[in-house]
Amino acid sequence: MKITKKAKREAKQLYRFCLVNGLLDENRARQVVHRVVATGERDCIPLLAHFLRLVKLNRAQHTATIESTTPLAVDVQKAVQSNLERRYGQGLTTKFAQRPELIGGMRIQVGCDVYDGSVRAGLAALEKSF
Amino acid sequence: MNAFIFLIAAQSAESDGQIAQIARTFGVDWPHLGAQIISFSIVCAILYKFAYRRILAMLEQRRQQIALGIANAEKIKAELDKTESQRLEVMAQAHIQGSKFIEEARAAAARVQQEETNKAIAAAAQIMAKAHEAAALDHDRMLVELKREVGKLVVQATATVTGKILTPDDQRRLVEETSKQIAV
Repeated sequence: MKITKKAKREAKQLYRFCLVNGLLDENRARQVVHRVVATGERDCIPLLAHFLRLVKLNRAQHTATIESTTPLAVDVQKAVQSNLERRYGQGLTTKFAQRPELIGGMRIQVGCDVYDGSVRAGLAALEKSF
Repeated sequence: MNAFIFLIAAQSAESDGQIAQIARTFGVDWPHLGAQIISFSIVCAILYKFAYRRILAMLEQRRQQIALGIANAEKIKAELDKTESQRLEVMAQAHIQGSKFIEEARAAAARVQQEETNKAIAAAAQIMAKAHEAAALDHDRMLVELKREVGKLVVQATATVTGKILTPDDQRRLVEETSKQIAV
């Protein structure tokens, strides 16, 4: 499916319409999708595809994935969340996951930013140094 | 002298008598003998004029031819000797020249051999240098591979051991370090 420049431009405008104080408003996004579908225009599918891509990027940028070997204590989770909000602002969704292959430590990914304090990362760096 | 003449005359007179007696004994007819002598002389003169002279001329011609042949033979012999001496001289010169050529060829061969030897030495040195370089590269590559393998083994061993020896306190400390990293 080819997405035209016009569809991209319109999808971007709709995406900006869905932002409230820099955060994506889910209700607005749903309304936008319903209305675009309701219009029944021929190029609504490419437009919605690009709109979905922008939304996914936004979600990825505002989602923090925190991986650790063992489940984190509640106080540690709160401390991590507060630190992340201080750095990335409000509206950040945090997901905690367990990954035993990390051996030890914690790995945090927010969008393209990765903070890897795991033992596995240290060993990988050590292996690269040889 | 007179006595000698008288003696000869006496002897001739005496001998005339003896000759006449002998001639009579053998039946010599003096006129007939004289005619035969004259005819024989005529025959001799004719033979001398028409046969003997020609034979002598022919013999002289033969003698001259023989002399000429001998002279030619001697000339040929002289020429042969001269040719032989020239041949020997040419042979000597050829020998000298051949020796000179052989010496030059030997010198050239020695020079070529020296040049080829130098080339071979240079090629061998180049091959040795390349071999050394290749060996050094292989050595370095093997060292790198060995280092990498050792590193991999160290990491594997560390990963295996670390997971078992990390206590909950260690885990907590590691998590807090990462959290502090975000807070900075």
